Amino acid sequence: MKNVIAFVEHKNGAPRRSSIEAVCAARPVADALGGEVHAVVAGPQAAAVGVALKAYPVDRIHVLDDAGLAQAGIDPLVDALDAVARAAGPSLVIVANTMIGRDVGSRFAARVDAGVTADVTGIEVKGGRVECSSPKLGGTTIATCAFKNTEYGVAAIRPNVFAVNVVAGAGETVVLAPSGKSYAVTVEDDVEEAAPELGVEEASVVVSGGRGMGGPEPFTGMLHDLAEAFGGAVGASRAAVDAGWISHGHQVGQTGKTISPPLYIAVGISGAIQHKVGMRTAATIVAINKDAGVPIADFADLLVVGDAFAIIPELTKLVREAKAVHA
Amino acid sequence: MKIVVTVKLVPDTNADKRIDPGTMRLVRTGVDTVLNPFDEYAIEAALQLRDKLADGSTVTIFSMTPESGREVVRKALAMGADDAVMLSDPGLAGSDLWATAYAIAHGIKTRGFDLVLTGTQSTDAISGDLPGLLAEYLGVPALTYARELTIAGGRLRVKRETETGYQTVSAPLPALASVTKSANEPRYPSLKGIMGAKKKDIAMLALADLGLTKAVGTDGSRTEVLALATPPPRERGRTVTVSDGAEGARAVLEFLKSRKLL
Repeated sequence: MKNVIAFVEHKNGAPRRSSIEAVCAARPVADALGGEVHAVVAGPQAAAVGVALKAYPVDRIHVLDDAGLAQAGIDPLVDALDAVARAAGPSLVIVANTMIGRDVGSRFAARVDAGVTADVTGIEVKGGRVECSSPKLGGTTIATCAFKNTEYGVAAIRPNVFAVNVVAGAGETVVLAPSGKSYAVTVEDDVEEAAPELGVEEASVVVSGGRGMGGPEPFTGMLHDLAEAFGGAVGASRAAVDAGWISHGHQVGQTGKTISPPLYIAVGISGAIQHKVGMRTAATIVAINKDAGVPIADFADLLVVGDAFAIIPELTKLVREAKAVHA
Repeated sequence: MKIVVTVKLVPDTNADKRIDPGTMRLVRTGVDTVLNPFDEYAIEAALQLRDKLADGSTVTIFSMTPESGREVVRKALAMGADDAVMLSDPGLAGSDLWATAYAIAHGIKTRGFDLVLTGTQSTDAISGDLPGLLAEYLGVPALTYARELTIAGGRLRVKRETETGYQTVSAPLPALASVTKSANEPRYPSLKGIMGAKKKDIAMLALADLGLTKAVGTDGSRTEVLALATPPPRERGRTVTVSDGAEGARAVLEFLKSRKLL
């Protein structure tokens, strides 16, 4: 492996934050391998995304700007990555561990019989070999894996773990030729249900509610307001999702998402193991609960014992004020 | 139509899980294993599709598992699947994600299929990469993260979850779909189902049946585990008991400021 290729997801002409993290994670790896950092951007408004990527440490930006690609879903994205990877030769491909990143990374891996490492939180090069570390068994073990028997490797990096480095690279734009294929998959419509906010995987602050919320209202009311004040996202425990108070896409934990935000605020969540495995790697955990004896007391940085329904609206006011001072 | 559902055995969430430092593999002996909870949504979706089609379509459970997984496969049968295939071979031991997907895909191909359904991830590996790998090796379209599935006119149509909503996506059969938790409420096996499952056929596949051209197992895998480490445990933090909302809000705010989070 010599080069590193970052697959870039984007929306409305801007790269996703987790994809910028992928580009920045690629730089030190490529430097250690003596190779280049490539970025691959395909789909509607890809050209604008390519321009935005020039602010980051990338050498070549491969762009396939084609609004029609959106109708074929994931397949043309895999083709674009595949074309760049074959031209670049043996390389490490970095995708964000997101719904699209996982699909693109895994499907590319099959095409070149590459090893796949998922939920990667560290990448190092030792003796010319790429080593990826990932939390396993609910974060109780960190496994370090290397690739073998393969010229390519895929690393799906956990969002919010790798630092963003705003240093421009060579940023040479390379226009990618369309694959010319007709695709079997048809995207018939694309519906936005939630406000186009960040999902829990990418948000830097996640405000989650659990059984203690007692109903759906706090998720669209006070928790939403607090998350919005932070510019973050609303999460939930399984109990809240199973009760139908909020959709599964917001669920954090064993049967939901595993996340590492800089700040996680757990409201009315006891912190049972099923929830803990999804959020224990958050940098800072604040819990608000009426019961001092909840399991989350053992691993939260701060547990406030009190009435969440009184605390959260007050906290939202204070956060808004604090943000307004800095703005 | 032949619907195949892939299932995996995983350690029970509450079980004490550890990795053998010698083999660097998950210790699976003496640990309670259960059907991967995510797979139950795929099984339920398959049963609903079969029952709606009511045209003699069948649901086959496919699992790459040692013999010890038989009881878990029986549970999937007890939910109402028609039969099962176990891909079981000592040569598969130590297979990584790539080798697992490569072997399962060839196993499914050997048996034939029109639709393959999977869960979105397993609770032990949590990679979410198997559906994509499988679809490529099966050579069929992948409709991932489906929360609603319908079949009409030789096409599979799904509502596919996205981070902010959903897409309606369709593709001609044969195809693969991964099924999310929002798709359904998996049924509990009935007593009749449990009794009936004992009589259902579990076919066995070994490596030699797959005609693989690439090696799998520990030697053929594309990744190797170099080291395992235990991260430092999270320390117990501070607990503050407050008497009203304003006091609680101030406690949080001061803490966030001390951590430079505000």
